[in-house]
Amino acid sequence: MGLRDILSALRRPVGVHPGEKKIMSDKLTEHRHSDSGITVTRRDFITRVAGTGAAVAAGTAGFAALAQAQGAPKPQAAAAPKPPADPAGTISNDAVKAEKVPEMQYHSERPLTGSVSAEHHNYAVTPTDRMFVRNNLLTPDLSEATHKLTIKGLVDRELVFSMAELKKAFPAVTLQGMVECAGSGRQNFVPAASGTRWLPTGGMGCPRWTGVRLRDVLNAAGIKPNAVHVAGQGGDFGVIATAAPVIRSIPLSKAMDSDTLIAWGMNDGPLPKVHGFPLRLVAPGWVGSASTKWLHTLTVLDAPFKGTYMDSSYRIPKHPVKPGERMPKDAVSTEAWPVKSMITHPAPNVAFKVGKPVLVEGRAWVGEGDIDRVEVSFNEGQTWQRAMINSGGDKYAWRIFSFEFVPKNPGYTTVLARATDSRGNVQPMQSTWNPLGYFWNAIHRVGFVVET
Amino acid sequence: MTIHRNFFPAAFAAAVFLAHSGMAIAPLAAQEQEPPRTLVQGRGVELTTARCVICHDAQHITRAKLSREEWAFNVKNMIERGAPITPEEIPQIVDYLATYYSRDSAPPAESAAAEAPVAAAAEDPAQRLLTANACIACHAVDRRLVGPGFREIAQRYRGDSAASELLARKIRDGGAGAWGQVPMPPHPQLTAADLGLMVSWIMKQ
Repeated sequence: MGLRDILSALRRPVGVHPGEKKIMSDKLTEHRHSDSGITVTRRDFITRVAGTGAAVAAGTAGFAALAQAQGAPKPQAAAAPKPPADPAGTISNDAVKAEKVPEMQYHSERPLTGSVSAEHHNYAVTPTDRMFVRNNLLTPDLSEATHKLTIKGLVDRELVFSMAELKKAFPAVTLQGMVECAGSGRQNFVPAASGTRWLPTGGMGCPRWTGVRLRDVLNAAGIKPNAVHVAGQGGDFGVIATAAPVIRSIPLSKAMDSDTLIAWGMNDGPLPKVHGFPLRLVAPGWVGSASTKWLHTLTVLDAPFKGTYMDSSYRIPKHPVKPGERMPKDAVSTEAWPVKSMITHPAPNVAFKVGKPVLVEGRAWVGEGDIDRVEVSFNEGQTWQRAMINSGGDKYAWRIFSFEFVPKNPGYTTVLARATDSRGNVQPMQSTWNPLGYFWNAIHRVGFVVET
Repeated sequence: MTIHRNFFPAAFAAAVFLAHSGMAIAPLAAQEQEPPRTLVQGRGVELTTARCVICHDAQHITRAKLSREEWAFNVKNMIERGAPITPEEIPQIVDYLATYYSRDSAPPAESAAAEAPVAAAAEDPAQRLLTANACIACHAVDRRLVGPGFREIAQRYRGDSAASELLARKIRDGGAGAWGQVPMPPHPQLTAADLGLMVSWIMKQ
């Protein structure tokens, strides 16, 4: 059975509507009850919550008016209860933590965020139990058996796949790729921005992902000429029914990149629940929010998606502003990470001996392009020496660098690492301040002790 | 290529911040003190807790120091994301946050905070916990909101010797199914003593 047969079997009888553009703007909204291919689980959850009167619960008489002003449907409009097709549930934080290494530090419980510090990242491929955790909402307990992926919007034919169908219809690809939270390293900014206070080196990881190419799926659906962005919607939900669904869109160029995946596997196992089970986007090298977890709907759009996770979050000023100033009107969406590196060995404050070699190791990466070189300094940046890099590897995988340092003098010693990308961009001393604290990529520095 | 090496005892991993004069780059590793788990008392604390500590733990706020403008932006952003805050409540919440978690000015002295009108409601330690942990955002005493009323809960479990432990576990770990499919979030920050106080108060309703 060829691809065409499978696709025609899957194809829904959805014609090209003359008013397709209108459908786009009407249907892909953030509204809580939007019938935009949301999984049964989520819709039933929302319906039930709406039925219990969550808005009233919060004691806000004016909330209904507010919700209406924002265009959200009235709670009673969706009150018809349905039996759940799938038990709506979430994974507890404890269950998530049980699958993580003890070295993982948690920065908040609601939403759950956690990461390991640089010295616990000394692996060529980030092990699953060291991958950072960053939710916007709760961790949903989705079922692979009932999960569906819908591709709609500016496509020739709307497609809906079960997990089994998706795996059968397209060639599987495994590749290593960086995923890093946009706010990784945020607390290094002065003044501090609000949001998750990651460890100094932040929340990032470079595991191996298995899935199908997003472009294969989009090509199967047929992209219309006026398509410019692709939005991914996740099946996670909040404590209250009014929580906006997490929807982010990426430019078509990134969606069509051969390394952008719709992934179901991580490090040769299934995706853990907290990392998006059963399906997620992986837009490697870009801010983590581009890699929608718990993916159930892809919508091809003629403009970037309009919604809170696009328009109020994950933005940086087009031109830098004075520290402490507000977000200017001409802000842009965060996309590819700038060049960055971290020292994964030695750990801070380890003791070494004069004359005994110290192997300095680390990782360097960039969201677009490649790592050209990494330099290290043992005198606070007065002089720099080239480190070895293992060039090659997957396009968006980090590069491993190493340098053998033989301490000549006793005392407290620091090592700095500075990466340069293939476009000539060099890691800065200090990252450009921005109101939401994104893209901290300044030179990393580790101190250790040399004893006689 | 095998990368992982285990040359050094894990104890060395403890990060210590060592200030270096003149260097503007990232600190070696900041060891942060854990921020408080409840919001500081003051005018607006109950409303702020009830609206914010539904989806967030209080530490999201207590670890922050922002300008008034940034707090206002955050509140607007959270309303966009679905926070059930009415237009009238916005200034009260922004005032509270900008007063007690300000980057630009120290919070008012303890005495001023104590005069705030919330003091009376916080007499009973169990009720104080229920407020501070935003339980009251989803539960009332005598009626069903997002979750069941405290009185309904007490009625269902009255006479059940295992109920105290069950309820304490439910509050701590969260769950769904007993009263419907709306999940209750976990509250892992609560101590056994706190849980005991809350459960015995609920069972008296």
